[in-house]
Amino acid sequence: MSDIDIKRISYLAKLKLPSEKEEFYSNSLKDIIKWVDNLKKVDTSKTEPLHNVTEKTVSIRNDEVSKSNSVDDVLSNAPERAQNFFKVPKVVE
Amino acid sequence: MSNNWEMVIGLEVHAQLKTSSKLFSSSPNQFGSEPNENVNFIDSGMPGMLPVMNFGCIEMAIKTGYALNFKINKHSVFERKNYFYPDLPQGYQISQFEFPILSEGYINIDSGDNQKKIRIERAHLEQDAGKSIHDIDPKYSFIDLNRVGTPLLEIVSYPDLSSADEVINYMSSLRQLLMYIDVCDGNMQEGSLRADVNLSVRKKGQELGTRCEIKNLNSFKFIKQAIEYEFQRQINIIDCGGEIEQNTMLFDTSTGETRAMRSKEFSHDYRYFPDPDLLPVNLSQEQIDKIKPLVGELPQDKLNKYLNIYCLDKDIAKIIIAEKQNANLFEKMISESTVKPKFIAAWLVGDIFAFIKENNLEVISLNDKTKDITDLLRLISDDVISNKAGKEILPKVLNGEGKPSDLVKELGLEQVSDSGELEKIIDETLVGEEENILKFQGGSDRVLGYFVGKCLKATKGKGNPKLINKILLERLKK
Repeated sequence: MSDIDIKRISYLAKLKLPSEKEEFYSNSLKDIIKWVDNLKKVDTSKTEPLHNVTEKTVSIRNDEVSKSNSVDDVLSNAPERAQNFFKVPKVVE
Repeated sequence: MSNNWEMVIGLEVHAQLKTSSKLFSSSPNQFGSEPNENVNFIDSGMPGMLPVMNFGCIEMAIKTGYALNFKINKHSVFERKNYFYPDLPQGYQISQFEFPILSEGYINIDSGDNQKKIRIERAHLEQDAGKSIHDIDPKYSFIDLNRVGTPLLEIVSYPDLSSADEVINYMSSLRQLLMYIDVCDGNMQEGSLRADVNLSVRKKGQELGTRCEIKNLNSFKFIKQAIEYEFQRQINIIDCGGEIEQNTMLFDTSTGETRAMRSKEFSHDYRYFPDPDLLPVNLSQEQIDKIKPLVGELPQDKLNKYLNIYCLDKDIAKIIIAEKQNANLFEKMISESTVKPKFIAAWLVGDIFAFIKENNLEVISLNDKTKDITDLLRLISDDVISNKAGKEILPKVLNGEGKPSDLVKELGLEQVSDSGELEKIIDETLVGEEENILKFQGGSDRVLGYFVGKCLKATKGKGNPKLINKILLERLKK
């Protein structure tokens, strides 16, 4: 099994990890992966990949517009709003 | 020093599909609405809301498949591309990854005097994200989710492009095709069509270098500038002994420079997986075949027709087919009139387009004036009025100031084609010109022009120049 890059994983998960906890979490993740790796024991060489258990095709709708709510409905759960915008801490990538 | 270097470019083009509603929700797919006006609970990523596929998007993808010579896949799968950003409330973009709806297409583009085949690896459906506005408040970003869920077709080329001009030609050919088949409005300024440019450099004949991706270019001018800058930047780094780092770049439109956009410390991991909310798209051959007739005539078909049936010059034909609305206007005029297509075409790309440009009009606004225009062209080609008079009347016709025949009478522009009348005027004009007549008979052709001018003036510009020419020659040769 490949080594766990715990720094990268905590970055991707947007979680701050104190350095003294790194080894602990690294080991727990390794255990989890080892457990999931049990699946590899099954021989799938002759099995088609399954994308969904129902085996059906996607349900579709016609290209028609309907409006089910107002701007206020959508903004009602926003922590903060400014006019009709969501207002969030500045994130510039 | 850039002589030995060549650039290798692949393009990812995002085309917004012009459906009425969004990819997975029935909110309006509309540009320029009030903030968050076109957002419902699916778009805003509320828990428990389920996406429902808009079949209009599938149809448009299939049309694109036909137009760009793609293999249209009966089986395609929507997956989640996970990343965090405030204008992506779901926390993931629904896209197609392993199984796109279209694969292995190509188009032919102009490259110098030749055609070049540009291979296209794939095209897939995905959702657009919202917009963050950073410059209203120093501490906060303002989020408008109207664009969330707008259907995009991402068209990914192979790295077959090797100059900025080729990229521009490829991009404009794509734009032209997508507009012809009516799947994208092609409005780059509004972001309906945008490109990510993947560029690497190499010494001629050598292996591919490391590439950088310049994100989100939305004008031909910026694409060209960004490519030229990035080409030189990469060469400079290598010439100084450095190495190119694979990077995502932004093009700064104010400075004309590219700069690294994302921190490279950790690369992104999008953790793609099939979206459990959406079953795979399985199309029947019948569903695919049904869409083929909707593709209609493509630019290349029209070009062949214009050259071989209407006998147009290639340059003029290309100007007309550049945009579908031009071609529609032209073909409407041909169908309504017996004036020669070549004559109509010359006036269309000349004075008529000039009028449209000068007055900032849409080509489409002339669609209800085609009868008047061809009536006017009829008068010109039948020599009822002169070319010059035609040019004078055209703007009035296009402004809807009256019927061409009425305008001709009103302005007294009817051409004098009565040879008896013209002969009289010409004879009067030649009185006292013995010296010049002798010059002409001595071989000076230039004098003829002088005489034609003088006669035209005597008819107040209304004399038929062809007839004047003919009579003059007869008189002078005596």
